[in-house]
This record gives sequence, C-alpha cells and structure tokens, in this order.
Amino acid sequence: MDDPGPLAGGGRSVSASAFDFLLDGEVRRISVEARDGALVVREGDRALETGVRRVSANELRLRLGDRSVRVFLARDGERTFVAVDGRQYVVSEPRVDAGRPGAGDDKAAGGSLRVKAPMPGKVTKLAISVGEEVRKNQTLVIVEAMKMENEIKTSIDGVVTKVHAAVGDLVDAEKILVEIEPKAA
Amino acid sequence: MFRKVLVANRGEIAVRVIRACREMGIASVAVFSEADAAALHVRLADEAVPLGPPPAVESYLHMDKIVAAARATGAEAVHPGYGFLAENSAFARRCEKEGLVFIGPNSAALELVGDKVRARQTMEKAGVPTVPGMKSCSASAEEFRAAARALGYPVMVKASAGGGGKGMRIVTDDGGLAPALEAGRREAKSAFGDDSVYLEKYIEEPRHVEFQVLADNHGRTVHLFERECSIQRRHQKILEESPSPALDAKLRREMGETAVRAMRAAGYNNAGTVEFLLDKDGHFYFLEVNARLQVEHPVTELVTGVDLVRQQILIASGADLPFRQEDLAQRGHAIECRIYAEDPGANFLPSAGRIVLLREPTGPGVRFDSGVFEGFEVPVFYDPILAKLIVWAEDREAARRRMAAALQDCVILGIHTTAGFLGDVVGHPEFRAGRATTSFIGKHFASWGTGEGEDERKRLALAAAAFEALSPGAAPGGAAEPGRKKDTATPWTTLGHWRAGGEA
Repeated sequence: MDDPGPLAGGGRSVSASAFDFLLDGEVRRISVEARDGALVVREGDRALETGVRRVSANELRLRLGDRSVRVFLARDGERTFVAVDGRQYVVSEPRVDAGRPGAGDDKAAGGSLRVKAPMPGKVTKLAISVGEEVRKNQTLVIVEAMKMENEIKTSIDGVVTKVHAAVGDLVDAEKILVEIEPKAA
Repeated sequence: MFRKVLVANRGEIAVRVIRACREMGIASVAVFSEADAAALHVRLADEAVPLGPPPAVESYLHMDKIVAAARATGAEAVHPGYGFLAENSAFARRCEKEGLVFIGPNSAALELVGDKVRARQTMEKAGVPTVPGMKSCSASAEEFRAAARALGYPVMVKASAGGGGKGMRIVTDDGGLAPALEAGRREAKSAFGDDSVYLEKYIEEPRHVEFQVLADNHGRTVHLFERECSIQRRHQKILEESPSPALDAKLRREMGETAVRAMRAAGYNNAGTVEFLLDKDGHFYFLEVNARLQVEHPVTELVTGVDLVRQQILIASGADLPFRQEDLAQRGHAIECRIYAEDPGANFLPSAGRIVLLREPTGPGVRFDSGVFEGFEVPVFYDPILAKLIVWAEDREAARRRMAAALQDCVILGIHTTAGFLGDVVGHPEFRAGRATTSFIGKHFASWGTGEGEDERKRLALAAAAFEALSPGAAPGGAAEPGRKKDTATPWTTLGHWRAGGEA
C-alpha cells in the first residue's frame, strides 16, 4: 500500500507512545498514536494508518483503506508471535534474543565466524576437524532434525579453529557448532 | 471383527486410526515415546503403553516393545499407520508369527514391493511400464558410474527401501555421483535402517499421479482413482488433489487398470497405492508401490465416499470388499494441504517447539486431520507433519477457493508452519490453471517470504504488537495472563471498537 505520508494536523490525537521492538532479530523503532479511530504508526519518515478492531484475545482485524487484514497474536514468555497474512513474525523487547531461528551466524570479536545450528537436532556427521582449511559453502556439519539431513556450511573461506559438537550430540537452535578464522585477504 | 487394535504410530495418523476404531466399536491402544507422553493420540486412545526414549529406533521402530505392548494389552491386530514400521516386512512377518493381525499387506507382498528393484522386475514382467533404471543395488562405484552414463544424466539416486523423498538425490554429472550416493545411503540408513540405493533415469518436469487400490483377502482388487501429487518440495508432497487435472477419462481408465494389474502381480492385499510418473506427452511409468495407508488418503475418501481406514480394518478381519469397480465413482474435487512444522521462509528448515496458539479451520467441506493441540511441544525426533487440511467442493475452482479460505483460518503460532506458503501456492496462476508439475515449487517459490508485501506485513506486525502492548489481550494459551490488569480502561482498550471510515 502507499504510505499516507507524514500526517499533519486534522486528526484528534489521543496519545503517542514510542516503542523499540526486535522483529525477527532486527531492531525497529516506531511511534504510535491514535487518531480518529485509527492507529498511526510512524517509523522514521514513513507512516502507516490502520483501523484496529480486537476480535478476540488473540485476534485483531486491521483495516488498510478498503482492505481488511487478520492478525493473530500470542505471547510466549518474552516473545510475541504475530501472524500477518499467513506469515509469522517474532516480536520482542530489543534485549531479548528471539530472532527467527537460523537468522544466521555471527562474527565473534576478533573476526572469527561462529557457525550455528539453524534448528534443534542431532549431529550426524562432522565433515571437518580443527586446523582444516575450508572453502566458502563447504559443508562443515550435518544436523538431522525431523528425519531430514541439513548441511551446515561455511559462508567464508578460512581455517577451522574450534569444533563445539560431536557426532551424536543433540544440539539446540543457535548453538555454536564450529568457529572459523577467516583467511587473510 | 477385532475387539482391540494397537496403533503403532503417533501424530495425526494415529489419531485418524484411533477415531476409526472408536466408530467401529473397537478398543484402541496407543503407544508412545517419552517425547510424546502428552501427545494427542495418547489422550484419545482407550489405553496407552510407553515405549521408552524418544529416538524412533528405541520406541516407534522397536518391534519387540510394540509386540510386547500388543501382548500386554490383549490387542488382536496392529495398525502401523504410515512411516515407522508400516512397510517393514520383518515386522509384518513378526506379527504373523506372533498371531497378531498386521493391518496392511501380507509380508510376502510387502517384501516384494518394498524392494524397489524386485518390484520393478515384477512390474516389467506384468507389462507395467517402468522408468529406465538399474536392476541391482549391489554395485561398485565404477558400476554406478557406468550405469549413470548408460542411463544418461540427469539420474536420480533412490533408496531401495525408500519413500517420502528420503535418500533421494538428483545427479547431473560424474562429479556429483559419489557425494550423492554417500548422502543417499546415510539418509536411507537413518530413515529405513537399510542403506541400499540404486539409480534411475531422472524424468524432467513430470507429474506425479498415483492410484489408490484396495484388495481384499479373497482376490478382489479395485482402484479408487487417482491423486495428483505434483506439488512437492525436496521430493516430498505438500499438496495433493483428486481428480488430477492432467487425466482424461481414457488415460484415467488405462492407468487405473494398470494399477490393479500391478497390485495383482505383486500378490497384494489391503490398501496400497501405485505411484506413476506422467510425462508431458501423457506417457506414464510405474514408480513404486506405497504399501501402506498414505498421508494423502483423505482426498480419495472425499471424492469416492469410501472410508479407507475402515476398509483396511474390515479387509484385515477377513471381510469381502463391499463394492466392485463399477460401483465406484469420483464426485466433485478434493484438495489436501500438509501443514508441516517447517519454515518456508528459510528453505523449509524444521521448526520444533511449543504451539502457543492453534486455530483449526472449520466449515462446510473442510476437514482438519490433526495430531497436535495448543500447548503441545512439537518434538525434534519425528516427521514434521502437524496436521492435514482437506477440503471438498463441487469442482476444482470451488475447492481451490475453499482451501485458500481455510488456510487463512488455520493459525498456528509459536513455530513456523507451511500454512501461509500453501496459501500462496493455491493462489498461484499455474496452480489455478492445473498446470503444475513437480518442478513447480522450485521454479516459482524459490525465495518465498522476501517478496511483495513483506515490508507492509512487517509494519502491520509492529502496529499489532504496539496495540497489544498498550491494550493487552493475548496470552499464552489464549487465557488471561496472571498479573495483567486487563480491565484497566485506557483509550487503547476502547480503540478496538472504533471504525475507520466506511467499515460495514
């Protein structure tokens, strides 16, 4: 939909609140105010105006122009799951690490790559060992979950410095499996 | 008729079989691993027997424990569902030896069709067309390479004991052969306990069309028409329908008769499915026999009006098939969508965890075969299927629209599922036109969830989260959260009743 653009005057502003949310691991800063029965949500210089009707404890009906969008919400501890048009997003306070599983590997201080398990499962194969040189997209570990094999690969060229898993281990999502020192350019 | 049946499975299919038993006045016995102590099938069964630790080899695949559970509870028959021991001829034989009725084919037929290479030989002899492929699994690396070259790349590595896409790999050149064989063997070993693999010519962009067969123990065999199963990811079906948009009456009759001939050649009884590949020119090839009740059996039930699980139990108890081929007809159109615990936005990675919200679709022509409930912790150990959504309507377009609406009513929060993805599949013009082949998902849905509308959806999600934070309504399990002041009046609690201009 088109942004209504910055909204100036005209409406009855009830109140405005600012929120920092983590949406699928990404920090989003928005402000929200109520105006003429609608919510005006601003993020940076973009604004979105939507009518809101609470259908039940877990369901909202948002109105965008002449379109109606069903939104389902459910809280689980610190995280709120929000489904919009069949897509699920995880929203939380920025301090909670609650991104989409498999959101990606991260770089540790010093620049080494920490390769993580994208989902809970069982380690069925270690294809590398410490000291081994690896090429980008090379398979490091195979994790089996729900009867499917998932090849965990490196996104960089480098040398394996640490292996944190053994064949047969049950690992949780986001568990660091392998660390790789990038190859000097 | 049996008085008590043990259901050697879990999830939605165990629930399906337990319900059939209940309707037939048969007591049901569930079995469960430690990961499933609170599972739905355990809740529904009349009795439940623990099997031990979560890994399938120590629970649902452990024959001694399952036979002991049948003994201890006095069950006279075992329904294996699909997966696990369903196509294990050693288990069928064991049941026969122990005086338990295996609700499925006889062990000899199961062994024959379960060995993909022997099955092909039998089919060739019976005049059933087959895909060109290797005649044996016991080949050296050189022999595999020679066979691949003789067949011509691309070729497919397949598990001899296979099914459900496990152990399958497409190979396009010599270099890819060794790793594909290794991966195929490892996956086959883990899924079926048997690492034999073989090669087959890979037919590009085929349709996958299968025929449901029922055969009683007295030589009567009928087919219940086809299911079109071309919508697949990772060679695994995610949507099935009947009738197939690709068949006309003549081809349907020809394939149906071939399916019956194939099952007779195998000496098959009870329910089973003959899978065919159908190429662009209308040639069909025998692929394999699925010697079990299949995941997608409900679409056949809805278009033929036959309860396949009930028939399975009746046949196993020795009853005659109550109909002949000419009594059977397809009426209307049925579509099934498989709701998997997978993240379609991240290459269908499995998504285990707790279901914090579940809304089941309902309404005329809507059936939801589910193995889960709100609050259930989906374990990592088993197949990711959560539920199946099946719809029936007078014609294909009406069924497609009904499915689209029902998928929007199918809400599962807390883990990722395929429901939203399937909504886009049924809305796609190629699917609407009935033209989808097995390459449909790879071609049109390679990068789902990143495209059109994603920005807006994210901002709506943020808006909803902000509204929720200001005016809390959601809580785990849909119940009020302790300590929340829900009835405090603020502008936000009344905002919900406002109308943006013109809402009816």
